[in-house]
Amino acid sequence: MTASVPQSHLQRPFWVGIRDAIPLLGGYVPVAISFGMIATQAGFSLWETVFISTVIYAGASQFLFVAMVASGAPLWLVVTMTLLINARHLVYGPNIAPWLPRNRTGFWLMHGLTDQIFALALSRLPQIPEQQRQDWFSGAMLLAWFSWVAGSAAGVLSGAQLITYWPLLADVLPFALPALFLVLLLPKLNSWIWFITLGSTLLSALLLQVFGWVNSAIPLAALLGVLLFYAVNTLQLNRRNSHD
Amino acid sequence: MTDVMWAALAITAAGTFAMRAIPLVWMQRHLSQAQHDSNDSVDGLPTWLGVMGPCVVAALAGSSMVPATQTATTWLATLIGVIVTLLVWYTKRSMGLPILAGVGAFGLTMGWNL
Repeated sequence: MTASVPQSHLQRPFWVGIRDAIPLLGGYVPVAISFGMIATQAGFSLWETVFISTVIYAGASQFLFVAMVASGAPLWLVVTMTLLINARHLVYGPNIAPWLPRNRTGFWLMHGLTDQIFALALSRLPQIPEQQRQDWFSGAMLLAWFSWVAGSAAGVLSGAQLITYWPLLADVLPFALPALFLVLLLPKLNSWIWFITLGSTLLSALLLQVFGWVNSAIPLAALLGVLLFYAVNTLQLNRRNSHD
Repeated sequence: MTDVMWAALAITAAGTFAMRAIPLVWMQRHLSQAQHDSNDSVDGLPTWLGVMGPCVVAALAGSSMVPATQTATTWLATLIGVIVTLLVWYTKRSMGLPILAGVGAFGLTMGWNL
């Protein structure tokens, strides 16, 4: 698409980003509502809860933060643990760095680089024209951020009623997240090496999670995947060399 | 919240943001340097990092597939939801419809078994 082609409202990259991020809502909103409810039970007010969701904006960290503060844990430990749990985010920025322009706005937009936005951006940014990528990222990131903050507020105000009226909805909508991750992953399965690597990584994370390694399942499985990729790659190279 | 709690919140928020933003800036500088030599920014990305990205997405997929409450029904619904998502993606190669179909199949299986 060139700059001279007129774009309808919904074709603008910002709105395309919003549209692409809509499936995230199924996973974000129920979890955000749960966070609002738990924060209320832990003694946080509506505005404190909304502020936490706005400035930290990281699901697992926020749950840990309110739970540890409520249990009276030392605050240095609260800070350390909430940061450690997000350490995997360190590899997200470098992975999407080739696809985003280098400017101040892009720097601040990284506040919205959650697991889900990372997965979406890694898959979609390479398909988007270079000059539209930042607008696309802004749209996707802002919708996800807004839904998280609004969901947290809804959880404080009427979480219990929402769960009572729509119990199945709260159980069903979160499946949007694994479905989204799968859809983002599938185009990458275009060779045996990626099939073996990503399939094994997915299964490892699932098993680690089932056996209770909740916080370390993602980094451990990802590390295992990288090692497996190099192992399979080396095997392939050795086999090729022996044939030659 | 007490003042100390606000301080802990501010440090946590700043730390989380730093973990997301600083590695991006570092890599963009690295790529910008590499671009002077090769004129191709993607080639400047270390191989292990290019492998790590999809691996993290696969790990997120595996981790998020585990139902919050693990019962035969939730596991069956997950299995059916995954299969339907895969099948619809295979036929449509789009993003929205496979997710919608997967969530629908998951929900129907959950409702059917309740």
